[in-house]
Amino acid sequence: MAGNSGGPWGGGGGGNRGNQGSNGSGNDPRRPGGPGRDGSGQNIPEIDDIVRKGQEQLRVLMGGRGGGTGGGSGGGGESPISPRTMWIGGSIAAVAAYLFASAYTVQPGEQGVELFLGSEYRITDDGLNFAWWPVFTAEVLATEQERTESIGNNRSGASDQGLMLTTDENIVDIDFDVVWNISNPADFLFNLRDPESTIRAVSESAMREIIAASELAPILNRDRQLIGEQAEVLIQQTLDGYDAGINILRVNLDRADPPAEVIDAFRDVQAAEQERDRLERTADAYSNRVTAGARGEAAQILEVAEGYRARVVNEALGEASRFLAVLTEYEVAPEVTRRRLYLETLERVLGETDLVIIDGDTGGGQGVVPYLPLNELRRPSGDNTTTTGSSN
Amino acid sequence: MSRIAYLIPVAVLAVVLISSSVFVVDERQRALVLQFGQIRQVINDPGLNFKLPFIQNVQYYEDRILSLDTDPTEVTPSDDRRLVVSAFARYRIVDVERFVEAVPGGVRQVEGLLEGILNDRIRAVLGADGVTSNTILSEERAALMQQITVQARTRSNSLGVTVLDVRLQQTNLPAQNLDATFARMRAEREREAADEIARGEEAAQRIRATADRTVVELVSDANREAEITRGEADAERTRIFAEAFGQDAEFYDFTRSLAAYERALRQNSTFVISPDSEFFEYFDGSALGGGNSLAGPSE
Repeated sequence: MAGNSGGPWGGGGGGNRGNQGSNGSGNDPRRPGGPGRDGSGQNIPEIDDIVRKGQEQLRVLMGGRGGGTGGGSGGGGESPISPRTMWIGGSIAAVAAYLFASAYTVQPGEQGVELFLGSEYRITDDGLNFAWWPVFTAEVLATEQERTESIGNNRSGASDQGLMLTTDENIVDIDFDVVWNISNPADFLFNLRDPESTIRAVSESAMREIIAASELAPILNRDRQLIGEQAEVLIQQTLDGYDAGINILRVNLDRADPPAEVIDAFRDVQAAEQERDRLERTADAYSNRVTAGARGEAAQILEVAEGYRARVVNEALGEASRFLAVLTEYEVAPEVTRRRLYLETLERVLGETDLVIIDGDTGGGQGVVPYLPLNELRRPSGDNTTTTGSSN
Repeated sequence: MSRIAYLIPVAVLAVVLISSSVFVVDERQRALVLQFGQIRQVINDPGLNFKLPFIQNVQYYEDRILSLDTDPTEVTPSDDRRLVVSAFARYRIVDVERFVEAVPGGVRQVEGLLEGILNDRIRAVLGADGVTSNTILSEERAALMQQITVQARTRSNSLGVTVLDVRLQQTNLPAQNLDATFARMRAEREREAADEIARGEEAAQRIRATADRTVVELVSDANREAEITRGEADAERTRIFAEAFGQDAEFYDFTRSLAAYERALRQNSTFVISPDSEFFEYFDGSALGGGNSLAGPSE
């Protein structure tokens, strides 16, 4: 410790040396969980526990010292303290202080790393442990605790806006979280100076590498899951290459969107997709309406034809049967029936028409020149009906 | 008491001597023992070590992996499209003696030197023949990073450090190209949107045309069936008539003619007829005497 004036980066190590004795190591950012008495406040749920244990230990210490001084005063009262009593009390107090200084607690989910004269000695699990000062020192790490590094969400400066270039030279805006814990506390302590920033840098690099090898469209939808898994593997490989003692639990891809500058255009595409759908559906509706109408019309045409068939056949059957019936009777008396039918018909026909009867023989062979004013015959045909009707 | 009085300064002296001659090198450190600026001892392994008190002092060096992020620099791949590239390196001091000689300024200085080496190597590797921006933006990126790592490692050996890993961070377009890229992306999207709508219209037109065709098919199909039905009906009627009327064709002619007269000669017709017709057989009374007429027998 005399050499603590050393290189510009040597100071941290020197300061750590006295951790257990000085009870003031809370300034070390590497120890989020902190040892039992640390009280650095990072482990909020356990604070009560820590304070309580600290008080207990303090009470033991005070009690020891009090016992010592009490013994001294009991022995001598107002008289000067005998050196012997002072020695005993002092050594008891010293032993208690030493025990207190050497003890440290490892909480569940934590692991302690003990160093023997600066080199790794052993890993301790949860419970009360002793690191005998000054030969042993111990550091406690919350190995199980899940920690998260968020990358790309603009929280840490403009450099990582999360805009990444894809292989088809499009730009995509990626936010993701890397969740990790410590798999090997010794490696974690001894191999990396800044683990958090290393994880951030490695994660960003890995994600950019994956995005750079991928096209835009799959990133935006179907490959999201795959990208998270690839990134997890790649980050873990890289960190293992550093013996970082870090375990990547998962990579959460929060956002993989087009950048804000072009997101409207992407929404327009979605709107266009909807529009396309709408157009097709409208056409479908038209198709359904028209074909249904056509089916109706076809059915109507067929029914009309069937109706025609029924009518024609029925009429034919009726007429034929009427004819046959008349024929039967006619065959009984053909001459008379024939004449009767003729006369009856002419009676009906001629009774309703205009008749002009010209006797060809009255003129003595020459007769009248039949003059037919054909034009006039046509024209007053409307009136003719009534006059002839009335005259008859 | 006098012995104790002697003992106390001796003990103090002993403590001072021990504490200034014993030192511990941590797992995270390497150390140099210097005697008036001269390197006397290099300590690479953790543990308890000794030195001469007062005339020797110890300098500690970081034995953990150190990080270095480079500032973004523009590189020009062989296809002349510029890219803004940043990288980070992970390195470690491996040779403390050389390190302290080559880089008296310590980590701060070595970062500057390393950044220079990195930028140089990044430009060299990414600007090499055959490396285009498409290569950088592809799966070959990992191989390029490996090349940069190897080259940077060789060049930084003289600094007493070893570069463990160089990884590319950003490979982005320069800010002035960003707008153009966004414009291109927008144009691509607009093209896609227009394409969607055009395809929608195409599909709609196709559907409508198919529907119209179906309509025509259905109706004409029905008309065909209807005509067939009508034909069958007419055939049936013809058959029925032929069967019935064939029994006495002459009588059919007669009755059908009468029916035709009745239907055809309606009120509007005007007849010019001679009283000689059979209808007027008895009209002029000439037949009254004769008994040879048809109606004769009834008189």
